[in-house]
Amino acid sequence: MNRALPEILQCSDMTVLERQRARLKWQQEQFQQHQQESYFSELSGVFSSQTGHVQGFRQGDLMSCGGAAGGGDSVLSDVVMTRQLKPDPGLETAWPELGKVDMGAMGFGPCGYGNGQSFDMNQAISRTSSCPPAVAAAEVKGNLEKMGLAVERDSLKKRKVEKLQNSKVVAEDDSKRIKASEEEESKITGPNTRKSSNNKKETYGDTSKENSKVSDVQKPDYIHVRARRGQATDSHSLAERVRREKISERMKYLQDLVPGCNKITGKAGMLDEIINYVQSLQRQVEFLSMKLATVNPRLNFDIDNLYAKDVFPYCTTNFPTVGNMAQELANHPPYVQFNPFQQVVSGCGVEMGINSTEMALQRTISAPVSIPDTSFLNTSCFTGMQQIQPSAAWDAELQNLYNVAFTGSIEGSDLKMEM
Amino acid sequence: MDLHNLNPSSLKSRFTTRFLRALTEINARKPIASSSSPREIFQRYRRIKDAADTSMAYSVRSRRTWSKATLWRLRTPSHRRRLASFGRRSSLNKTRTTTTASHRGAVVVQITSRGGGLGVQLEELRELVPGGEAMDLCNLLDETAHYIKCLTTQVQVMRTIANLYSLE
Repeated sequence: MNRALPEILQCSDMTVLERQRARLKWQQEQFQQHQQESYFSELSGVFSSQTGHVQGFRQGDLMSCGGAAGGGDSVLSDVVMTRQLKPDPGLETAWPELGKVDMGAMGFGPCGYGNGQSFDMNQAISRTSSCPPAVAAAEVKGNLEKMGLAVERDSLKKRKVEKLQNSKVVAEDDSKRIKASEEEESKITGPNTRKSSNNKKETYGDTSKENSKVSDVQKPDYIHVRARRGQATDSHSLAERVRREKISERMKYLQDLVPGCNKITGKAGMLDEIINYVQSLQRQVEFLSMKLATVNPRLNFDIDNLYAKDVFPYCTTNFPTVGNMAQELANHPPYVQFNPFQQVVSGCGVEMGINSTEMALQRTISAPVSIPDTSFLNTSCFTGMQQIQPSAAWDAELQNLYNVAFTGSIEGSDLKMEM
Repeated sequence: MDLHNLNPSSLKSRFTTRFLRALTEINARKPIASSSSPREIFQRYRRIKDAADTSMAYSVRSRRTWSKATLWRLRTPSHRRRLASFGRRSSLNKTRTTTTASHRGAVVVQITSRGGGLGVQLEELRELVPGGEAMDLCNLLDETAHYIKCLTTQVQVMRTIANLYSLE
């Protein structure tokens, strides 16, 4: 059934609403699947890699959802569930990286505040659906279709609530700019800012259409903006409104990026926070580079080898240290256990230095070509290893280290792990 | 999460690769002696910081305004830079500012606040985000978001490396 959904969606004789319902059901099933998988990996925490963010976020969401939404507010939990699935990869938006960042930023919320403060999360959730819950239900469903429309620069609210689909569905719907739900929506609520989702590009002359029709045909770059009830309809104020909505959407996004901004409303305060945060990040970079300038590196291994993708699949069993080193460098290492490494690696440094140029050259060449080199690397460095510490127990410890590092259970404690 | 899940094409890994390469090159060129003068240390610091910024800017796959501006800033000498930025600023602020030139070619730009008194902060933000001088608010916020994300990645990676190196 899980895989059945994309096929169902592709058959065009389903109506729009049926598709939405089917999608929602599918998402719920996915959610339940993920729920079991990710339940105990909550502690992977905020500061780990990006997929770790996803897990942490899901977990935090789950906890807060369970805590506060247990009262049976099904709409909110709907929203939460759909939000959880946002990290499903492959959403081809114009902010692809930002989408992932969003995950990371959301991870700040629950993990930074602890799971007790589910209220914060719910505030964040309710912020995304600023309409009363009864309306929100219809809107969530009504907006599922909109996702296919304006994928590139969606409004933030819409992105939070609605980024459910996987890439196939998005890519499929993206080609049609269907405005069916637009009409539905405008009848539901007045001050609904979801219209901004349609406003990717505008032609000023044509945008203010009171009677925009539903069209199944692919439209060229026109965005039809419907004027809301009781508001001015000339093109200037419409354009102005669109611009304002874009800005507020970006401000909301920034609000998620910058930690500790949930309580601040208003552009001025937000801008102050953002400025402070950027300044502090820049200062941190300076401080860290100063620190790097004063510290004497004793590891003399060749860095070029670290990201040799081709090396990894062939090397893990024979030569775990290099691979492990690389992985650890990029994912905060549990460096309490790191010391035994360094001697080994420095011992291997010479051999690796010899091979380094070859490896660096071979790195971009396809895998089969690099096999002879890797085996050369293996044997030469392996002998180096054996000179220093030929113990199987130590290898086992290395394997443990691998597992530990990559289940991410240690990574919560950011940096100053005291030994 | 399996062992090879380190996404080799993610921003983090691209940045890490480049930065480590630059670092080893810097270290190889002038190894740290225990008796370095503060001036030498300062020079190293500048080089490392520039390397970090450059490698970050290169690792950005979609060419962003701030990344181009960072690279440009690190490449052109400062006198040429000042002239160019004068042109850039005045073209943006033509409609709402008066530019007054005061002694020795330094240009002071006064921004008359137009949209709700946000002028001062906008100006600050423009200064902080590289390449932010010639952008309107909407794009500026966009750039800021991307810039913040890249900065956090940079800080994470550099912190990890610094801890690694300082283990002794």
